Amino acid sequence: MRRLGLAPMMLASLLAMSCKVQLTPESISKGWHAYQDAKKDLSPENEYYVGRSVTTNLLSRANYKYIEADAFKNGELGKTTAYVNAVGNVLAAAAMGDPRKDDRPSPIAGWHFVIVDDDQINAFAASGGFIIVNKGLIKAAQTEDELAAVLAHEVAHTVRGHAIGSIKKARMAGVYKEMLDSTVQLDEQQLGTLTQAFEGAMDDMIDSMTVKGYSRDTEFEADRVGLKIMVDAGYDPQAFISLLKQVDKKMGHAGTGGMKSTHPSPKDRIAKLEAELAKYDHVKVPKARTERFKSAIAQLEGGDAGKELE
Amino acid sequence: MKRVLLVLLLGTGVALAAPKVGSSVTIRVLSAKVMKSPKFIGPSAGTVSRGDQLTVKQVKGDWYLVEGSYNGWIHKSNVTEGKVALSSKPGGSGGNVNRDEVELAGRGFTPQVEQQYKDKNPNLDFSHVDNIEKTAVDPTELEAFVTEGGLK
Repeated sequence: MRRLGLAPMMLASLLAMSCKVQLTPESISKGWHAYQDAKKDLSPENEYYVGRSVTTNLLSRANYKYIEADAFKNGELGKTTAYVNAVGNVLAAAAMGDPRKDDRPSPIAGWHFVIVDDDQINAFAASGGFIIVNKGLIKAAQTEDELAAVLAHEVAHTVRGHAIGSIKKARMAGVYKEMLDSTVQLDEQQLGTLTQAFEGAMDDMIDSMTVKGYSRDTEFEADRVGLKIMVDAGYDPQAFISLLKQVDKKMGHAGTGGMKSTHPSPKDRIAKLEAELAKYDHVKVPKARTERFKSAIAQLEGGDAGKELE
Repeated sequence: MKRVLLVLLLGTGVALAAPKVGSSVTIRVLSAKVMKSPKFIGPSAGTVSRGDQLTVKQVKGDWYLVEGSYNGWIHKSNVTEGKVALSSKPGGSGGNVNRDEVELAGRGFTPQVEQQYKDKNPNLDFSHVDNIEKTAVDPTELEAFVTEGGLK
């Protein structure tokens, strides 16, 4: 993940802005250490809380319509969701293999994959290991390996901290300022300021995910890292290309919005990925993998949302 | 909502250099499997929770052989050698934490901030994400899934 590093000059500015901090050697030292902690980026705990709220906002936009919701109420995973979570967790385990220093391969609440009942082709990786995939994108996948490509791209977004990285630096400056000030207990004003920053951070993240999209380089990075993750898990890298061709075909018939407005074109993504593919061998897909995909995803076909939702 | 102890950690919780044999490590994730072999997928000896302490008996790459409520292997990403304090999970009491805990909780986006956000946005229904995060994929079943599908 990219650093949200604030220069020491920024720290001085923050201290100067604060009417509560007396600039003594002790307060400067304390502030410096708090700044050093804060600039390590948001902690896994912070990312978890932001991820919970981003996920809730995204589900709210979908009117809380997601596949096999009743099973979740009982603390269980329905058949299709369990299958998608199995593929996702195999990929997440593969992502643990060779993490970079700033990667986030181990969210504190684990990995959770939810299928939203929306035919638009899109998926979202909130921070903290919460991944939302629209039914439309799942249905675009023709094989388990193509489904793995979908999920690996989202796992890569999380591992690289792309959602958290989309929070505006100015917003984080406000958070760090309150962190410097909050020595023992947040007063009402500090809590209000942090909550405002929390809301703003979520707005930044949701805006990036649903409207503006990440930068092209960020999406290409998620493709490249996702490709390696799926290969490390034992999936066929060629499936990433075939998935993108499916997406291209389906999006060609769709209007604007969804992945069309937030991602580079599938053709551009394929062109970038083909250079990476040379690194990896083709994988022969066993019949069992094909059969279980058909069995688990079959109930999503047909488009009768009433039947699909419990 | 089910109340679960939450540990707030000093530092980022990111695993440090390998701990010394005989030292203690603390679980930093909400729950983790102690595995029978040093790998993520396969049978586990049991589940440990955030704040549980384990003694390191052996270090093998990124995996630690540990003793505690369960004996087995745990990945370094699930533990910290950092100092910990206890507080409450979002939706929990939140009102009986001591000053040190409040100090730790006051850093960044926390249960306190989430609660304030919920209060400001009563139309948002957090019960869905609460239910979602209660689910987990069993690593033994995942091993069968990997084997059946010819995965790694």
